[in-house]
Amino acid sequence: MSATSATQSELRSESVTTTGGRRRTRRLRPRGLPWILPALVLCVGLIYYCIGYTAVISTWNWDGIDPAPEKVGVGNYLRIFQDPIFWKTIEHTVGFFVVTFVIQTALGLLFAVLLHSKVRLAVVYKVIIFIPVVLAPAITAPVFRRIFAPDGQFNWLLEHVGLGSLAQPWIGQESTALPVIMAITIWQWTGLTFVLYFAAIGQIKPSILEAARMDGAGNVRTLISIIWPSVRGTTLAMAILSAIGALKTFDVPYLVTVGGPNYATEFLGTYIYRKTITQSHVGYGAALSIILLVLALVMAIILQVRGRERSVMR
Amino acid sequence: MFEIRTRRGRILLQVVVTLLVLPFLFPLIAMVQGSLAGDGWANYQAVLAVPGLWRFFVNTVIIASGVIVIVYVVTMLAAYGFGKLHIRGREVYFWLLLACLTLPEVVLLTPLYTTAQALGFFDTYWAVILPLAALQVPFAVLLARTFVSGIPDELFEAARVDGGSAMRGFIHLIVPLTRPIAAAILIFTLIGAWNNYLFPLVFLQSTEMQTITLVPQFFVGQFSNDQTKILASAVLTAIPEIVAYLCLQRLFERGLAAGAIK
Repeated sequence: MSATSATQSELRSESVTTTGGRRRTRRLRPRGLPWILPALVLCVGLIYYCIGYTAVISTWNWDGIDPAPEKVGVGNYLRIFQDPIFWKTIEHTVGFFVVTFVIQTALGLLFAVLLHSKVRLAVVYKVIIFIPVVLAPAITAPVFRRIFAPDGQFNWLLEHVGLGSLAQPWIGQESTALPVIMAITIWQWTGLTFVLYFAAIGQIKPSILEAARMDGAGNVRTLISIIWPSVRGTTLAMAILSAIGALKTFDVPYLVTVGGPNYATEFLGTYIYRKTITQSHVGYGAALSIILLVLALVMAIILQVRGRERSVMR
Repeated sequence: MFEIRTRRGRILLQVVVTLLVLPFLFPLIAMVQGSLAGDGWANYQAVLAVPGLWRFFVNTVIIASGVIVIVYVVTMLAAYGFGKLHIRGREVYFWLLLACLTLPEVVLLTPLYTTAQALGFFDTYWAVILPLAALQVPFAVLLARTFVSGIPDELFEAARVDGGSAMRGFIHLIVPLTRPIAAAILIFTLIGAWNNYLFPLVFLQSTEMQTITLVPQFFVGQFSNDQTKILASAVLTAIPEIVAYLCLQRLFERGLAAGAIK
């Protein structure tokens, strides 16, 4: 509640300045620009300043210290497009987005529907599914490194259910490292998808569902024809969030596999970190950052526009 | 939502849900079990005996509160401006803000690093609070604007006829009426600030400034890679987050149901 009191004290000090304009704007809506100014100064100021700065650095061949960096124009960008690791990160990001989004949506919706049915101890299930969302990847990463280690609990579990032949060093080999990263991400974020679907389903009018039942619709039919279309907005929002989230992925691959083995779990975020901080190729890292930013923006715009088109067609 | 009339059906449903939830529970159990392996509870004693452990918590609390206060104030002011007041070119400003939603934090690293050092912010709370707040505000404004737009105009007009200023509309209408959405914003901001790893990693170099997300790494050095103690520290740092969530769970769900994302 400290937030509220802070607001009020700030408002008191501001109210002195606004009294002058009150008379002029009485009949119209008051001017809103001063109200959005703090947000604009903070976000647009800080973030756009950083983007501009990064764009400038991206044209340098810079180690981060040299006071007179060599200017190379679009050189960094040209090198990136010929960088096989860059294309690998793009491949990983796309695969990662498709797999995590599809599974999270399916699981989240399934949980939301099941827990809206008459299940005992629904609160307990809800809490268990949502707890991973609040836990920091930095905290859970050591746990997952342990679980998926060659002598870890996952292989132990496989042996005890008779699948011992499947036991393998999950995060130590190229073929399984990326699926492990996906599994951890799904574990972490399904709770959020679930909670949003749960809220959205709660807003469907009971009368609509009853009408469907009267018409003889079964459970599966209701799910496909009534529930799925009515939570479309949530699905779309989650698609945008997951797409941007996939591009932003950093914590889990960095902390669990450090982008390895042999770049098998390298994402744009971890690659930028590796280039900028670990290898001090700051200019190259900045150019990667700009590409990442452009991809995120394009992705958001495409999803937004396509989402609108479909809702118009309906 | 599913209608199940038979007793067998109900039991089957319960079993299905339980089976589906087990994979979510498994890592949590592995975490606790791993932390008790070897020396048992002595792992926790060893972790708690490390001097300066509280410092990590205090730092995280300071940073999270700072971010929450800034995000709340800035967001509510902006949501009122966007939702109910007259702004020429309003959508342009709104999209300027929304574009920030797509920004990955790694992009900010280099410019912030050099700027923070030039301005003397480096290794202070501000170096983490300001960029975190800036990254959280766009999403918060998006949620709050939709909510504020849904408040009937008549309320504000009535307040204006009574001679109230925009300021009074804010204090008497916006602040009390937006409580449900404020709860959702509070939780998202709390999770974002509490769990952030990259900014503290890069901007807080001295040990007494570091946050709880850096604890596992700190203990890797401290206990020369004794996994059980690292897991014990992970459990200890997870507890406050779980408690906070359990306390706010109701408010959070009400906030989402109030139309956070449609």
